This record gives sequence, structure tokens and C-alpha cells, in this order.
Amino acid sequence: MKLLTHNLLSSHVRGLRPGGGFPLQIQASEVRVRPVPFNAAFVARLVPRLRWAALLEAAESLGHPSELPPEPAADYEGDESFLRRVHHILLEVEVLEGVLQCPDSGRRFPISRGIPNMLLSEEEA
Amino acid sequence: MEVKTSKGHLKVHKMKKKVLRKQVRAQHTLMRHEGIECISHPTQSLVIANAGLGNGMSRQQLLRIVEEYGLVETLLMPPNKPYSFVKYGTTEEAKKAFDALNGKEVTLEDFGQNIVLYINFVEKVFWQNAVPTSLPPGLMVIEKIISPEEERRMLESIDWIGDEDTQNAQKTLKHRRVKHFGYEFCYDNNNVNKDKPLPGGLPEICDLFLEKCLKQGYIEHKPDQLTVNQYEPGQGIPPHIDTHSAFEDKIISLSLGAEIVMDFKHPDGHTVAIMLPRCSLLVMAGESRYLWTHGITPRKYDIIQASELGQKVGTITADVGDLTLNRRETRTSFTFRKVRRSPCNCIYPSVCDSQKGQQRQVQPSFPHNDMEASKLEQEYVHKVYEEIATHFSSTRHSPWPRIVEFLRSLPKGSIVADVGCGNGKYLGINKDLYMVGCDRSKNLADICGEKNFQAFVCDALSVPIRSGSCDACISIAVIHHFSTVERRLATICELARLLRPGGTALIYVWAMEQEYKNQKSKYLKEKNDSKDKEEEINIGGVQRPLSDQMPDSSSQDSACSDRLLNDLNDEGCAAKLVADSRLPVHTNRTSFHSQDLLVPWHLKGGTKKKGESIDTVSSPAGSKESQELSPVFHRYYHVFCEGELEAACRSLDCVRVQKSYYDQGNWCVVLEKL
Repeated sequence: MKLLTHNLLSSHVRGLRPGGGFPLQIQASEVRVRPVPFNAAFVARLVPRLRWAALLEAAESLGHPSELPPEPAADYEGDESFLRRVHHILLEVEVLEGVLQCPDSGRRFPISRGIPNMLLSEEEA
Repeated sequence: MEVKTSKGHLKVHKMKKKVLRKQVRAQHTLMRHEGIECISHPTQSLVIANAGLGNGMSRQQLLRIVEEYGLVETLLMPPNKPYSFVKYGTTEEAKKAFDALNGKEVTLEDFGQNIVLYINFVEKVFWQNAVPTSLPPGLMVIEKIISPEEERRMLESIDWIGDEDTQNAQKTLKHRRVKHFGYEFCYDNNNVNKDKPLPGGLPEICDLFLEKCLKQGYIEHKPDQLTVNQYEPGQGIPPHIDTHSAFEDKIISLSLGAEIVMDFKHPDGHTVAIMLPRCSLLVMAGESRYLWTHGITPRKYDIIQASELGQKVGTITADVGDLTLNRRETRTSFTFRKVRRSPCNCIYPSVCDSQKGQQRQVQPSFPHNDMEASKLEQEYVHKVYEEIATHFSSTRHSPWPRIVEFLRSLPKGSIVADVGCGNGKYLGINKDLYMVGCDRSKNLADICGEKNFQAFVCDALSVPIRSGSCDACISIAVIHHFSTVERRLATICELARLLRPGGTALIYVWAMEQEYKNQKSKYLKEKNDSKDKEEEINIGGVQRPLSDQMPDSSSQDSACSDRLLNDLNDEGCAAKLVADSRLPVHTNRTSFHSQDLLVPWHLKGGTKKKGESIDTVSSPAGSKESQELSPVFHRYYHVFCEGELEAACRSLDCVRVQKSYYDQGNWCVVLEKL
């Protein structure tokens, strides 16, 4: 699970207040860093879609402090070094084993071999 | 003083370039296919391509090769891979090994083949060891049950000289040799002829041995059937379960002449490799006899634990720090069984030929509420996909052109969800997209993970992705697995929820009409194709008289109003109404006679779920080799009539139908989020 994927995931346990399922807390037991070819235009397009604070928090929790600013600067599209740092944290850091925890309900979703299991039981859905 | 001619220089230079090129190629292969990152600066650890258990390099030989350059801290040989890892005490030693071995030609000891080693440095040597496996329940291996003398006498007692025809057939087909006593085993129906015992019964030489087994409780009854099998290196027997109705529970098999590895597989795909030493007795009882298949892979060597060569009995754990190759020799087995006189009544009906006929009594019917729908889908969709995942994945390899076209038309940097992604067929199509797949089947999602795609497990009715975060989504051959109108509509709602305004969704579902505009779909066309590939969307259907077009029911009401659902229910096409009746079972590659039905899936190659290395042996039908019960699974489908999908989409006021078309037996829509 890359951090970009994590940025999209939101707990869907029934009965949560709006937004109560995001962001999922990561407790990782195995993290892998794998190089991915960098493409500035690709990354630049992703930036506005991100929940920035959640991204920074996730990176911290994995012990990969991202050296990213609290908010993207206005001219981020032209800032290659910024984009490279975003690229690294979004696409090159993967959680292989661990748990995602719903902030409001505490429900835990396991991650195994990079695949989170978000399946809810009949009662929870 | 040696004077090198300019030609000589050029030759050396060319060779060095060639080695470098191949070394770099090895690097790329290791990275792309195995996720192993090679680095350019020297470290203590090396990866050696072309020196692995998977390509015939034994541990002993590799150790001897690498030891020459320094103290070997670790030597890891992952099973079935064509590479290995070595870690030296110091970087200098590793560098020495690199310089000496990169591009070096080596002769494989066991096979006489020449290979070239390509070396790269790696950050560290690490391999995830599989969890140690336990024996299949009911299985026992008893070592040294007979003495070498008894072994010799038993081997000598077999008179292989049968009739000439059989002998010639065996020689040409390179089959293992087989001889039966007591009752003839018939390979056409995998059963014995219980009314015609063979004269002579079991050979006297076995009497004492069988008395011992009875006394020890390895068997309950004195066996009355014996099959002797002789396996030369390279021979095996396909995975099978001994026919339930033919033989009683406990089956014992004596191994003579050589040791061998036998593979046991559980229907959930999980396999266990068991070492059977010489003069040992294998006892299969209960689950290991009735539910697990057993087989011997036809090959010339087995992978076993190096530290206990020839000694270790029981399971072979995948401790990659300790595996090596063991050359096979001629092994003879004496398998004793008691012929069954009454039908089998085991607790594994899904694999029991005595009980299979009764299974049909539990037939599913059309669901009347959400709970029934959920239960139906659990039994006839989710459970099935988990079981058939690997086989299913192997039949889903060709991406469909119009779906590829849709993905390629999306702007670079788009975030795309594939809901019901299956084996991830579409997740890697367009590298300029960030695609995330999700599937209800954990085993299918895992297959995506193995391919290094982003995926997770969830239900399409409740996708844990934040609203409005996707630029696009696709849902191919998914919604037709939901068994009520409400549930199908709810999945379309979910897809819409994921989209940002202006985002697009592509949906494909099976069409009731498999022949459209006088063109038969691929499924119908492949009716006479003996290969049971069952490409997903190809299902046969006759040309049915089409009902009136669905009314354009775009409404200002909210998405799932009752009125609209009634419209969808009543004004559906003129297909047979299945409410209150059993769901019919479809005959593959023919037309549909009902919108709600069960479609068979014939499982091939066992129920492998992960990308496992156990070979399955294909065998000519009706031959001595085929001893398999081929499972059939039923999957629930609701096939859509012309206009039905479009109407359902139009009933939602948050989307607009951009496109609606028919593609090879499917109804398709492209939606745009408003």
C-alpha cells in the first residue's frame, strides 16, 4: 500500500460521523522503499487531489518524515525538488505488513503483503 | 613480453561489454519481476543470477563456488528461483567474488549444462520465509518400517514382465510402471471392479508386513487391493484423491528403492511437501485421504532440506537458508487399500463421488430480500471466486480493446478506481494513471499485490474510498453478480460517489442477448472449442425476441425511489420470471434462457490460489494418469437486457449517461458525474 493509496482510503464502518473515517492511522510492521521513475507532470497533477495534512502525518508515522512544508507552495508545479520529495513519499514508500485503524471507531483493518483488507462484516457495513 | 594485437584488445573489450550488458539485463529482470534492487556500490551482499535452485544449481555446488572468495555468512537459495543471495563477512570479499564470478561460465554438476553467472551487489540479503507448515490432518510417515533386507526381497518379488503390448506402450509413453493385485484398478473411471477379483490375491511376501501394520493400528482392516507403482526419475503421478467409493478410509503406501517428495494440496490452495524416505510407510487417513490431493511432480530432482539430507521425514519447510536439490532415483511404492463395499459417507461431500449426486438437493432460489441476496452471493459468488482465483486469473489475460481505449483517453495523473478488479488485468494498462483496484475476493486482490499493483479487499456496495476523490472508475463484469435490483443500483451509486464532478465511470455487464445485430458473441462462437477457457464476458445466448425498449426513466426524484425500481422490475425484458423458483443452471456456451441463473465453472489445475510452484501435469483424457475429480462451481449472474443498465443509470440524478453500447456480449455505459 503506497501512501497515495492511503490518502484515498477512508473507513466506512456504519454510523460514523461525516469524515470520521479519515485518515486511517497506520501501524506498520514492514515498510518497503522501492524506486519508481519520476515524472514531474504526473506528480504535479496529483498534488491538488491530496489531503495534505493526512499525507504528512502518514509519512511521519512510518518514520519517513517527508521534509515537506505544511502546505504546498503556490508555485509548486515548477519546484522540481519539492515534486521529487512528494513523489518519493507518495509512490516509493509502501506498507507491506501492518494495520490501518479507523480514527473514530477504532476498527482495525489488516494489511498483508501490501494489500489492505477493508472488508466489513454484515453487522458493521 | 606479451604483445596484444589491436584485434585482441577489441575482442576482450567486446566480451567485457557483453558481460556488462547481460549483467545490467539481469539487474532489470531482478528488479522488474522480483522486486530486487541492485546497487552500484560494493556491499557485503551479492545476488547471483543463474545460480538458483530453480535452474538446477545445488547448494553444495554453489557453496563451493562462493566459499573460495571469503567467509560466507549467509547463503540463501529461494526455492524455484533462478538466483541466490550470498553475504560475505566483508565488502572486500564480496568484491573479490564479484570480480571473479561475474560473467563466469560454470557447468552445473547435476545436469552437465553450462550456465553463465551474473553478479550484482544488493543492499541486504533478505527473504521472507514461508510459515512452517504442519502435516495434513490424518497423515503419518513411519520411518524404517521394514529392513533393507525386506525391502530387497519385496522389490525382487515383482515380476514386471506383463504382456508385450502393455510393455511397449509403457516404454513409448514413458509412463510409470504399474501392477495391480487383488482387484484391478480401472483408470477410466478411477474405480475397481468389485465383482471380479484378480486371482491370487495379494502376494504372500506382504503378509507379515500387513500383520504388523494391523497390530500397530496403521490400518483397521486387512487390505485386499495392492497397487505397485514404479517411478523412474522424471516420472510422477498427477494430483488426485483416491476415489472415495472405491476404498475405505486408511490407505498405506510403502516406499522402496529411493526417497521422494510427495505434494499434498488442500482445496483452498495451500500445499505441503512431504519427504518419504526409503523403507518408510505413508499412512493417509481422514482429511488427508478424503480431502487433500496427493501427487508426485514429474521431475528429476526434488528440493529438500540440506541439513538433513536423506534423513528428514515429514514436511519440508521453506527455510531458504537450508534448501538444496536431491537427485531422484527409481522408487517403487506398494500401496495397500481395502475395497469399499458400501457408499462413502465422509464429511467431505464436495469431493465425494458417493455423495455428489445428493448435493443437487440444496438448490438456491431467487432471493426475496437483502439478507437472502447477501447469502446467495456469499455462496455463489464470493466463495467460488476465492476457490477458483488462480485458475480464473489464468484465463483473464487479454485486456478488452474498448476498455483500454477508455483508460488511455484519461488525462495523465488521473486517479482511477477499478471496482471489482479481479486479477488486476487493467491496473497496469496506462502508466500515466494512478490506478487502485479493489475486489471482494482476497485471493484475487492478493494476485494483484503479487503483480505490485495497488489493491485492497472490499465489497462493491461499500467502497472505502473518500467521496469525490477519483477522476474515473471502471467496473467490468461485476454488477451482474448482485442478485437484486436494489443492490445493483446501490453499486452504481457507489461508483458515482467516488467520482469528482466531471469524472467518468465505465461499466460493463453481461448481456442477455448474446447474438446482437446478427453477430454472435465470442462466447457463442467458441462453442466447439474444446478448451474450456471461459473468457469472462463471452457467454452464449440465443437471439431472444427483444421486449419494448426500457422507457426513458430519467427522473428528478432521488436515486433509489420505489417507483423507478418498480419500473425496472415490471418492464424488464420478456425473459422468464424466476421469482419463487429455483435458479436454473446454465449450459456454458449456449444462449441464456433466464436473466437470473447459475453458470458453471470447471476448475482446471487444482485450486491453486497463489502463484505457487507446484507443477500440474496435463494428462490425456481417459489415460492411466487421470485420477482427478474435477470440481465444478456455480456462479450466480443476473444478465442484463438491452437498455436495462442504461435505465438504471438514468434513474440516478447525480450522473449523466455519456455513452451506451454493446461490446462482445456485454451492455456497457459511460457515466459522467454531474
